[in-house]
Amino acid sequence: MPERALDGLRVVDISQGIAGPYATKLLADAGALVTKVEPVAGDYSRRLGPFPGDNPDPANSGLYHHLNTSKRSITLDVSVASGQVVLKKLLANADVFVAGEKTSTLKSWGLGYDDLDSDFPHLVVAQVSPFGATGPYADYDGNSLTAMAMSTIMYNTGEPDREPLATGGEPGEYIAGVQLWIGILAALENRAKHGAGDHVDVAMSDAVACADEYNSAMYGFQGAIRRRYYSRHIFGYPNDIMACADGHVVVIPGAGGFRSPLTPDVVSPMALLLEDPELDNNPVFTGAGERMIRWREFEDLVKPYLSTHNAMEIVMTAQALRLPFAFVPTAADLLSDEHLAERQHFEHVATPGGDLTIPGQPFKMSETPLRASAAPSRGGANEQVLAGELGYSKDDLRILSDRGVI
Amino acid sequence: MSQLPLEGIRIIDFAQVFAGPACTRILADLGADVIRFESPNRLDVTRNLIITDNDGMDHTWHRASYFVIRNASKREMVVDLAKEEAREIIRKLAATADVVVESFTPRVMANFGLHYEALKEIKPDIIMCSLSGYGQNGPMRDYAGYGMGLEPASGVASITGYKDGPPMRSGLSFTDPYSGFLGAGAILTAIQYRRRTGKGQYIDLSEQEAAIPIMGAALAEYQMTGRVKERIGDRSDWAAPQGCYRCAGDDRWAVISCSDDAEFGRMAGAMGHGEWKEDPRFATVLARRQNHDTLDELITAWTSARDHYDVMHTLQCAGVKAGAVLDGKEILFDPHFKARGQFDVVDQPLLGKRLIPRHVAAKFGRFEAKARSHAPLLGEHNAEVLTELGYSAEEITKLQEDGAIADKPNLPVPPAFIGVALRLPYDRYVEHGILQAVEPDYREQLGIAD
Repeated sequence: MPERALDGLRVVDISQGIAGPYATKLLADAGALVTKVEPVAGDYSRRLGPFPGDNPDPANSGLYHHLNTSKRSITLDVSVASGQVVLKKLLANADVFVAGEKTSTLKSWGLGYDDLDSDFPHLVVAQVSPFGATGPYADYDGNSLTAMAMSTIMYNTGEPDREPLATGGEPGEYIAGVQLWIGILAALENRAKHGAGDHVDVAMSDAVACADEYNSAMYGFQGAIRRRYYSRHIFGYPNDIMACADGHVVVIPGAGGFRSPLTPDVVSPMALLLEDPELDNNPVFTGAGERMIRWREFEDLVKPYLSTHNAMEIVMTAQALRLPFAFVPTAADLLSDEHLAERQHFEHVATPGGDLTIPGQPFKMSETPLRASAAPSRGGANEQVLAGELGYSKDDLRILSDRGVI
Repeated sequence: MSQLPLEGIRIIDFAQVFAGPACTRILADLGADVIRFESPNRLDVTRNLIITDNDGMDHTWHRASYFVIRNASKREMVVDLAKEEAREIIRKLAATADVVVESFTPRVMANFGLHYEALKEIKPDIIMCSLSGYGQNGPMRDYAGYGMGLEPASGVASITGYKDGPPMRSGLSFTDPYSGFLGAGAILTAIQYRRRTGKGQYIDLSEQEAAIPIMGAALAEYQMTGRVKERIGDRSDWAAPQGCYRCAGDDRWAVISCSDDAEFGRMAGAMGHGEWKEDPRFATVLARRQNHDTLDELITAWTSARDHYDVMHTLQCAGVKAGAVLDGKEILFDPHFKARGQFDVVDQPLLGKRLIPRHVAAKFGRFEAKARSHAPLLGEHNAEVLTELGYSAEEITKLQEDGAIADKPNLPVPPAFIGVALRLPYDRYVEHGILQAVEPDYREQLGIAD
């Protein structure tokens, strides 16, 4: 078997849902041995679906299968003392412990950082929670929506007269997962240099705030407070999704799309695209401030072209003119996309409900490519881990099982 | 000061704009010596975005907030890679470097003879990461990619929007920083591998692909049910009620989400309507989904009489997920973000003290991953880096005379013209509702006045 980037790294993960499991998926697909510790009822992403034919079945949740590739699963009730004893045996041989609970919950289980640090000084204890381990909201609950709300991104998304809009797909969870993964790798690097484990505390709210492109900066450098205006960039209009004959495209003129004072005699790429050189003489077309304010008039200028051309033709023509237009694919479009197919982006895993195509790796490494193998069945590694590695006898396992601990 | 994990790691950074600089800002805050490069003929376009105080002053390239927040903690050289002497500087630096990051379209580095294979000849264990819009191969490899297009290209816009409305972008291009974060983690993964094996490698990161995992549930739904996921506003496939509710004040909002019957019961109680949980219209999650509009009206009647923070605290103290929807000013004053140190104060030349956001969200016990120094002025570290590489003062002067290095942009027009051109009509933006307000005393309010 070829070498993997994180061969030899041992991770114990009691987190559920999206953020923590996505972080450990990125470790597992890179070769780390991730032992997923599920509650006896299973990770709650198993209950979220989607499910084949809309028939709820915890073994077949699409979300679960996407987020838990390349891991092994044991079931363990870590909220009771006998479960905590088993977990601590696992931690004795682990490099990283990942939890998705609030600090107060972890402490009540004897699994807070202070509890673990003395017994396991080399362990990286990584925690992802809605509002972090410290601070005034540490005991508050949350999800992607609350994180998007606090981050300023939501306030600036949507129509001016309607409610602010959250971005689809629970991005706050994924952003937090990626920031957790970065924190774990940084702590491991620190351990390699300086010998000690550490506490990695990621708040979902903070992770999404790190992805604020410029809303806080506009106040901190200008005193300007942005608000949502059809999700428009403050840098200028259009940089937006517009309707075309067969769907939508993203109209982006980029740095060189409109007539520049430096090249007054050259027909602009945007005018070329719209097949009307006269547009370069129209202030609504050429003036950045005018476009932003008189955007309805600008829309009238581009509509005749957009509404009579297909997305494919518009984007290909625009890109040939070096205008960074883009497509607006749906999930179905992505699965049949030629570009992604040629890059072999998607991965395919076997699930009890049949083969499933899942999102591929977010980057390609030349020597140690990340690879996904199918997500584990609930408790599939109970015997291997508890009997094989931790030395529990068959009787022990039966007792733990009878008591609902595994 | 405690030691940082990436001390001793040197990174050559050709990344421009947002995704790449966000990636290397993370590595710089973790202790790496990041030396970024710009061309005097083609500055990083973010040096022209969101000019401090929007005042049309000269030297805009030193005054762009967008550049500052992304490039703190780094050093910078300005070199003209069209000149052989400049490429020689890069090759010498590469011999001392651990990582190279770039964000051009695929051909550019090869044209300069600075692609992975060439750099590997100089430094066999080098790690190189290319961040691009669509990746290094495939029919769209040469497409120009801007963040505003790459978020929709990942599919995310197709599931963002009001019910029955068109697909929408987020109010900013969040896949830019998101893919930068992923690049940083990819490089940290490659560093782990190099530590164990001594081998470097090449990383190809496509911003479009980086965000596709966010589509994981939607992709599975299409395969498992044949349904293309619809836009549902702020609602949830799982939780009900969930939404964004109007609060007291001008354009103030709070989000609320109830995952199960128990949480809904707590919400109803906190709102003084314990009877809702017995109401057959709301007693189960399915009933709440069916009667979501009715429930939203009842919830709004409660929220609209209250401040958005009051809604959040009252509900959270009752055990209900809720959050105030914050604008770009409020986040700077929020007690949580203050206590957690989300914004570092940097003393930026020409601009004074400024608050800039963290790029590493994690809080560690043994070190702090924060902005370590101001964002570099154009070519600020030319002489410093060249001296470290063994160039003499005479050689540095000659490089400057030959135009291989520079500390000023080669501008086709007078600088003052650019300052005026970049000034946005904020008074009209306020009038049209594109901006909520402009507050000239913001530095006093923030406590960072000179």
